[in-house]
Amino acid sequence: QARRHQRAAACGMWPGRAGALPAAIGALCRALPPGSRPAPETFRLAKFNRPEAVRAGEWHLLPSKNHLANQPMSISVQGRILFVKSVLRYHGYGRPEFYQLPSDGSQGSRELLLAFSWLLNRINLLEQLLTANRVKIGDEASVCTCEDNLSNSWKDRTEIALERPLKRDVDVRYLQWLNGRLRFKWRSLHVDRQEQCKLLHKIHSYTSGCHMDQTIGHFSVTETDLIRQPDSYKQLLQLLESETSRLEAFLEWKQLEPVYCLTVFFSLQVKSRERTLPDEREFCAAVRTITEAVKLKLSDLKYHCAHKKNGMHGSYRLVFKDKRSVISKLQMEEATLKRELKRLQEECRHKLDEIAEGLVGVICIPPIKR
Amino acid sequence: MSIVTVQLGQCGNQIGYEVFNAICSDFHSTHGLCSKKENESYQEACKERFFSEEKTGVPVARAVLVDMEPKVISQTLSMAARSGHWKYDHQSHFCQKQGSGNNWANGYSVHGPRYREVIMNLVQKEAEKCDRLSGFFTVMSMAGGTGSGMGAFVTQCLRDAFPTSFILNQVIWPYGTGEVIVQNYNSVLTLSHLYQSSDALLVHENDAIHKICAQLMNIKKISFRDVNQVIAHQLGSVFQPTYSSEGASQYSKSPLGDLMESLVPHPEFKMLGLRNIPQMSENSLAYSTFTWPGLIKHLRQMLIANAKMEEGIDWQVRPPLPGHPVPPKASPNKALHFNTSIANLVVLRGKDVQSVDLGGFRDPALYTSWLNPQEAFNIWKTPRAFNKYEKSASLVSNSQFLLKLMDNIVGKAWNMFASKAYVHQYTKFGIEEEDFLDCFTTLEQVISSYASL
Repeated sequence: QARRHQRAAACGMWPGRAGALPAAIGALCRALPPGSRPAPETFRLAKFNRPEAVRAGEWHLLPSKNHLANQPMSISVQGRILFVKSVLRYHGYGRPEFYQLPSDGSQGSRELLLAFSWLLNRINLLEQLLTANRVKIGDEASVCTCEDNLSNSWKDRTEIALERPLKRDVDVRYLQWLNGRLRFKWRSLHVDRQEQCKLLHKIHSYTSGCHMDQTIGHFSVTETDLIRQPDSYKQLLQLLESETSRLEAFLEWKQLEPVYCLTVFFSLQVKSRERTLPDEREFCAAVRTITEAVKLKLSDLKYHCAHKKNGMHGSYRLVFKDKRSVISKLQMEEATLKRELKRLQEECRHKLDEIAEGLVGVICIPPIKR
Repeated sequence: MSIVTVQLGQCGNQIGYEVFNAICSDFHSTHGLCSKKENESYQEACKERFFSEEKTGVPVARAVLVDMEPKVISQTLSMAARSGHWKYDHQSHFCQKQGSGNNWANGYSVHGPRYREVIMNLVQKEAEKCDRLSGFFTVMSMAGGTGSGMGAFVTQCLRDAFPTSFILNQVIWPYGTGEVIVQNYNSVLTLSHLYQSSDALLVHENDAIHKICAQLMNIKKISFRDVNQVIAHQLGSVFQPTYSSEGASQYSKSPLGDLMESLVPHPEFKMLGLRNIPQMSENSLAYSTFTWPGLIKHLRQMLIANAKMEEGIDWQVRPPLPGHPVPPKASPNKALHFNTSIANLVVLRGKDVQSVDLGGFRDPALYTSWLNPQEAFNIWKTPRAFNKYEKSASLVSNSQFLLKLMDNIVGKAWNMFASKAYVHQYTKFGIEEEDFLDCFTTLEQVISSYASL
């Protein structure tokens, strides 16, 4: 084993390789969306666990990496760190040193680098970011009609999440308050969406018959805007050029990715050599448990793949079509969902009845019948 | 952005008219005390919120008028049209040729279902005119007969047809010495049903508004019109455009959503009270000046002592000292001294709103133990003055304001019910004793929740 480490070390320090790592990091940085781009220097500093790397915003890096927010998140450092930790936990990152990092963001750039690299690989972060930030000419909506085979993976994830239960007592009314706020926010989102649909409908119907491509037939918001303000093509061009250079950087990165991964892996090896080797019996038992778990998950996955219907998933261009066929489809969907809702309500009622029976000296009052 | 108002019954239609009138006259106010740009933003937001465009250029109120008789509706429609500044859509109303007797159960179980489709079609039409439907605002009296029964039914229909929209019910609490003998039954039925369907109930008490007219406005012979105009002023002071968060760059696009989120996320606590300061006759206004610290101090004490207006406030009432628990209010029949809040919203309009110190409202002693002031207290503001008041502050409060009132009404109704007085008037139309019991239970639960704050 020691000989293998020596060979890896030699590879990493091979003269021809000298330029490969900086090139990889450079390509990585250029492939990231503008605004979330660290300086390549940050990586070098992080490797040596320098605090400047942390301040330089690796913590800022990771949240915007979650590709949901294109704007800088205006929350406190503490909040940001909590968020980053929860994201990594969600994806199954198991390194305790990372979670023990202080919440004032004063140290841990090496751990951050490790976590970032892990995430990069684990969820194909770059591909996701490129997809999310690509230039869209059409109006888009994201769709998912996949069969719900997520239930298993949710279970695994919540097991990790529920490790540390709340230590202090919380008044249930406060939780109800928070739940209510969440509900209202969801309803406000609904209002937003309805408005968006309404306005899109206006634009699509006013420009119907204008598009060169007859299968589409009408303009999108961006296209309409280009007609109204022809000078905005310059901005669009800039965006496209930026996207092209990011894609080129991405291709470069893909070639050099193994070098980056080896370096990170190597630095990890260096660290783990500091630990004592586990007891051989314990080790074998652990390996056996892991093998069992993997076998189970694999068979589960095979089952689901075999039974998975081909659902739509991803972003699609919105095109305004005749409503008749859509309405009947929606009506069928509505009926199915109504049945499902009724079934779930019955289930819930049964559960509540069971619980109520168990409570002594308590009268349960249902809401007013309608 | 847009709010659709549903005016229900005689009361709802008369008040609704005054509200649109107040909003429109504020729209045209030349005493905005702000920059031209600010005023234009304000006017644009106001217009989008309450009126729709028509080819004639006269703004059309986003409203549906419902009543069992034609008289009040036709008066309302013609008064609005005569103003020249705004009008109603003359198609957007529903009424019957003859009256239908003053009976809550008749309104709820017979007339409601019978005319549901027609009424909901009108509402749907108004909703479709809105690019962005912020929600519904219904106006009705609580203790009326057919009007209140129908109002409760219509609110239910709104909830069924628009499950995710925000619904705010404006209810008029009857005079304590009201004339209708069954008004307590009606009130109990209305309140409990509205509680199921709407997100919040904003209450105005006739008695309180009457006092404002008498003592603050110096009106000698107080008419319903005077009372309604005070209510309209108070409502306008809350629902005219504001910036609902610090650093917001445009007027709020979700007034109802913002209100609900700050005040009524907990489904058990939906009762809201409204206080506005200063309130006076136009003549006196010209000779009065106010300072923000003075206004805020009075408003805070109005909250703490549950005062209905800025005169006759009990300054002896204090919030409990930290470390000393609030003495348990075992029976809400005992005079409640200190009014505990769940959440409060203060709306400031006019000169120097940026400099107002609202620290007094952030005192944790004002609030129930399970919610901290950061989450419980919200501020909306605009530098644009409202309706000729150089400075104006309003308080929308989810607190124990209405606890005693509710307990009174439920108590009286229960006494009548225990002796089965007049119950046949309701069972005749399908409201059974069982239904009454459900309503009493619901309200007892609400009273208990508020009492245990």
